[in-house]
Amino acid sequence: MKAATLEFLKQRFTDYYQQEYLLVPPSLGQREWGFIFFDPDYPEIRMRRHIGFSGREELITYVRSMVPAHAYYSTAYYMTPGAPTMNEKKWLGADLIFDLDADHIVRGPYDLMLARIKEETQKLISMLTEEMGFDPGAISIVFSGGRGYHIHIRDISVRGWGSGERRELIDYVCGIGLDPALVLNHRTPSPRGWHQRYISSLTEYLQRLDAMDPGEAVRELSTLEGVGKVTAEEFYKKRRELMEKLKNSPERVNFRDHTIGKVLPALLEAKTGNFYALLLDKAARADEPVTTDIKRLIRMPSSLHGGSGLRVTPIGIREFPDFDPLTDAVVFGDRLIKTDVSMKLGMSLRGNHYQLEKGVNDVPEALAVFLCCRGIAEIAGGV
Amino acid sequence: MRVTLDLKDFVKYPFLKESQQFIGSYADSIEEFIQTNTGKIALRYALGRVRDALGDRENREKDSSSPGSDSFGVKQAVASYALARVLVSCQNDRSLIERLTRFEAQRAYSFLIDEEETKKEYIAWSVGIDIRNPEIPFIRYVETVSGLRDDRWRLVNREVRAGMVAVTHEEMDELVREQIRVLLTRQLPLKVPERICQLLQPALEQVTLVYQKQMLERFGTVEEDSFPPCIQAILMALTSGTNITHAGRFAVTAFLHNIGMDNNKIIELYCRAPDFDISKTMYQVEHISGRGGTEYTSPSCAAMRTNGLCVKRDALCEKVGHPLSYYKQKKRKGKPAPT
Ligand code: SF4
Repeated sequence: MKAATLEFLKQRFTDYYQQEYLLVPPSLGQREWGFIFFDPDYPEIRMRRHIGFSGREELITYVRSMVPAHAYYSTAYYMTPGAPTMNEKKWLGADLIFDLDADHIVRGPYDLMLARIKEETQKLISMLTEEMGFDPGAISIVFSGGRGYHIHIRDISVRGWGSGERRELIDYVCGIGLDPALVLNHRTPSPRGWHQRYISSLTEYLQRLDAMDPGEAVRELSTLEGVGKVTAEEFYKKRRELMEKLKNSPERVNFRDHTIGKVLPALLEAKTGNFYALLLDKAARADEPVTTDIKRLIRMPSSLHGGSGLRVTPIGIREFPDFDPLTDAVVFGDRLIKTDVSMKLGMSLRGNHYQLEKGVNDVPEALAVFLCCRGIAEIAGGV
Repeated sequence: MRVTLDLKDFVKYPFLKESQQFIGSYADSIEEFIQTNTGKIALRYALGRVRDALGDRENREKDSSSPGSDSFGVKQAVASYALARVLVSCQNDRSLIERLTRFEAQRAYSFLIDEEETKKEYIAWSVGIDIRNPEIPFIRYVETVSGLRDDRWRLVNREVRAGMVAVTHEEMDELVREQIRVLLTRQLPLKVPERICQLLQPALEQVTLVYQKQMLERFGTVEEDSFPPCIQAILMALTSGTNITHAGRFAVTAFLHNIGMDNNKIIELYCRAPDFDISKTMYQVEHISGRGGTEYTSPSCAAMRTNGLCVKRDALCEKVGHPLSYYKQKKRKGKPAPT
């Protein structure tokens, strides 16, 4: 990154931090903080962490004078958050966190990735509230400023949970460890849980098989681990009977039947297979390690994401459906800036579409910040 | 909820607050208590509890006498529960604590299953579970089952709706047992003053002895003779306290897991490593054994060779490509043919 670009970003960030209201997390005094600054060798990452603040004023003064490119605090609560090692900090508990990052799900244009991850987030929220019964008031949704969302749950009853308990939750939302025989056997199935999700994925899959050329279908089935041609053929013959059972009496699907007992678990095991893809569509694909890690740092809501210049934006559950990060998380203005773009690109921001050629373009400040932060443009003229 | 508990119940469920109230003064001053004759007898029973928890049968014979069923005997029995907790707290060894709480929970469970319904409801209620409902609150459920390994307890395999998790009546007893274990484990170790641990020194030495012996016997039962030379070598190094590389640890953990060794036993093995860190080890062991979703298979001979772990090859090694096949073949040969 050129010195002029670095200076431009630092100035824009300074303006933002001077003027905007900054949110501080509850129990500020028990959190560890970490920052990455616009050092001369930025974006080379060097984090300064193990920092503690005693109160709101101290934190805000620090942020306003240091102007970090990235600001994080611990999801954990510590007795001595500023202590240099994890052991000395003395862990007291941690918020429950889910991280949804489009990077793990789709590749493609930025707005498409953002739209996709928003769906994923919506699925997660409905699992959290309607299935697990978390109070919507204890859930906060935050646009990460990058390619996804963070969910913070500050419910006192889960604060002391270790990784094991958190693991149950993340496995549930991702559908990990699902046992077909067990979920089909639910006695009073709810229309939302994994019972239903499994049945509808399997039904869809069987319908697809049914529509395929029989030879093709058998070939697909026999690629499954431990499933030979004979078993595949047997299973194919039973497809309609199985669909029927799934519809009317799923608890009667017989896993002691050799074919069923072999193929259904094998379908679930084939993580790159067609069935698994259907099932994953119904899961909420949050990032596992983030939830089970009880000593993680997370981006500070209301700070700026140094990799995009977008605001790490908290969103109310009710506003979430209408939230558009490429409008609502944009904080900079329309003043035109001469920007040297490293490739031809199209990009939407605040409802306008911009088509940029490789080379110097006049672009609105907000877009200039975004492109420079992403490392695909440099400031061309004077700032 | 109102239920009348009698003396027998205090013995069966010593963790209830009613039971602890019953021994009142004994618990108030442990230091004095353990120096009285009653205290000394209770301490012997406490040692018996720890032995039972460690599954030490032989030595149980010696002090198989049990406290009487009169008020005095009951006080001793309940006090022995409290003292056993003090003993393991002085030892402050996570896996010993686990053993004791598992034992206490199992012991209570064995009484609970035959208990009349209202009493059972009361015991369950006092540890925070309402067994009259066909479902229990989500948070309580997760806290209770997160230590259970069986797939049927996994949240993902459960009916979860509106903050409640469905549990059948038959499963409730097991859940109560686990909840007792969770609660008791959470209470330990107790903060026991050094002075008291000093006074208990002779008993503590016995605990250590039994514990070590149990550990050794356990390793014997895994058919260690059939382990391939590479795994034997790493294990030997581990037990003698030598530091092992990550690849070595991975190979052993995955191998032991693949042959069906229980995670707790694998972790115990690691207790001897010089840089033993229980939480890290548990994480690694659980990770390798598939809690993360992928179950790892122990590395093949080729991979072992690459990592410099293929040592002391023997004749059988020539015929196998995997330490696991070595184990299977050797075990098969070792056993007499079925008749
Ligand atoms: S050949 Fe395989 S089994 Fe034998 S010592 Fe080497 S790695 Fe182990």
